[in-house]
Amino acid sequence: MARLRATFWIYVTACVVLVHLVLLPALYFGMGYVIRESHEDLFVEHARTFSRVLADEFEVGAAMDSQKRIEDLLDFAITHGGARYAELYDRGRSVRSLYGSSDIKDARSTDLSFGDGGDGIYFVVRPIEHAFHRAELRLGFDEQPIQERIQLAFTRMIWLLAGYLVVAIATAIILSHRLSRPIQRLQAVSRAISSGDYTRALNVNTGIRELHELAVDLEAMRHELVGVNVRLEAKIKEKEISEVRREELQKQLRHRQRLETVGTLASGIAHEINNVLVPIILFTDSALQDLPRSGAPRANLERVLAAARRAKDIVKKILTFSRELDEAKLALIDLREVVAESLHLFSVLAPPTIEIRTEIDESIPLVRADATLATHLLMNLFTNAYQAMEGAKGVLTIGLRYHEHADESGISRPRVEFWVSDTGRGMDAATVERIFEPFFTTRSVGQGAGLGLSVVHGIVESFGASISVESRIGVGTTFRIFFPVVARAEVIGDPTPLVA
Amino acid sequence: MQNILVVDDEPDVRDSVKYVLDRAGYSVRTVESAMDAFAELARHPTDLVITDIIMPQINGVEAIESIRKAFPSVRIIAISGGGNFGVTEYHPTAITTTAYLASAEKAGAHLVLTKPFESVELIRSVEQVLGVGHA
Repeated sequence: MARLRATFWIYVTACVVLVHLVLLPALYFGMGYVIRESHEDLFVEHARTFSRVLADEFEVGAAMDSQKRIEDLLDFAITHGGARYAELYDRGRSVRSLYGSSDIKDARSTDLSFGDGGDGIYFVVRPIEHAFHRAELRLGFDEQPIQERIQLAFTRMIWLLAGYLVVAIATAIILSHRLSRPIQRLQAVSRAISSGDYTRALNVNTGIRELHELAVDLEAMRHELVGVNVRLEAKIKEKEISEVRREELQKQLRHRQRLETVGTLASGIAHEINNVLVPIILFTDSALQDLPRSGAPRANLERVLAAARRAKDIVKKILTFSRELDEAKLALIDLREVVAESLHLFSVLAPPTIEIRTEIDESIPLVRADATLATHLLMNLFTNAYQAMEGAKGVLTIGLRYHEHADESGISRPRVEFWVSDTGRGMDAATVERIFEPFFTTRSVGQGAGLGLSVVHGIVESFGASISVESRIGVGTTFRIFFPVVARAEVIGDPTPLVA
Repeated sequence: MQNILVVDDEPDVRDSVKYVLDRAGYSVRTVESAMDAFAELARHPTDLVITDIIMPQINGVEAIESIRKAFPSVRIIAISGGGNFGVTEYHPTAITTTAYLASAEKAGAHLVLTKPFESVELIRSVEQVLGVGHA
């Protein structure tokens, strides 16, 4: 069964009201009793005392012998004693004060209690011993004034109790609010914590020691939680990074493996083609020597020979490239010089529709590379860029800058970045993925053998540098090459050109 | 007339080289493997061996070393189309034509020639190795 749960202040207030529902009637009746009793006692006391004093007055002296004296004393009881009825009864004879209320016919002879009889009169009957016989003094006191006073006292008491109830409820509400405020604050913070926000501090300013201590304990818990959370987050992040790094490495590995496979295949094919070209070239050569200086057969065979030589050149490109790498002499070179020389060469080739921009930093440290190969590399990239913009206006941007780059393990490494950016056709992701494979080309037959970028890749690798491509269809392509910068100490320690 | 032995597993290569050198006035015989070459060298006096490097069974480099030991007077030209053929792991800087031919030279070849070559190149190389005027 679900328990009814109320807000703290409602709960406290309801409790206070409930307690008072029991307490107030008890107080009312108790106090009422006391008020009534005390007033009645006073009244009765007064009535009796007065009666006794008056009776004594009749007993001593000769009051009983004078009719006039009797009447005076009875009148005194009315005028000064607060009685409304006064009678002296002596041996069948009755004397009444004329000041008394006329409507009271009969005085009862017994000593009645307060409020009895329903006539609003309290009777006191007092025996008087006189000349060896008994007379009776009968006095009747009006209950009305004392009743009114009791009523007034009750009214005041009710007001007092009502006031007390209001004050009690108000105190309960105020107190419970004051109590619940720090609790609510604790609640808000613990809610924030449970919803993942650990940053809010439990800063509860309260005079209640238990709450203060609870807040301090909770704050300590929160601190612990934040610590655990931070450690956990760091761990998760670490894992994520290592996951990303692993994927990146796997991707690189796959890429490399594919390049290796294609490379092996390419060399195999190159070898085969070279073998096939030997008889073609030699037999055609010989046949040409036997043919007359002019004529269709000669012209045809010359074309066969030319085609074979072209085939030889294509194959040579693959193998020449390998040989170049074999013979590469890595030394510390200034890339700005290489860029300047390549640009000079390229400006001759580039069509006027292409605007060339350069963004070259003033201070670029030396990098380890082969100047000839680096020029070859840059020319390849320039050519690639301008071919991507062929037949249209375009901008070719060449940049060179030095910056620090944090690697996967977070260590900052200086490097020189060289980039070539074109505003050409751009490539899709599938093309970018395969761009460095030998014989992979998007150009039509005869425009290129598709060796350019695989050559670029090989050269970059031989420098210990890395290359990346960003491309968007219709926007353009950017190739970036990152050269590691050799530490100054290494340069100082080894001033001679570095030979691989 | 000088005797030349052509060793190559490709019949077209053997035949075309023989054809060109025959026309240049040499006596040319051909075999398809290093084993056959040893037998041929033992049978006939030979002035020059033109051998391929990448061949099944015994490769050219081993063949050259053996020929240099057994027949020191025989001159040798190594020919190769190169590539990373037979190399399990591709690496741009690994064994290539240059590397093959360099190792052939180291093994004792007097001259190395990359495939494909033209008739003129072939004849000039042969003349160079045998010494001009020996034709």
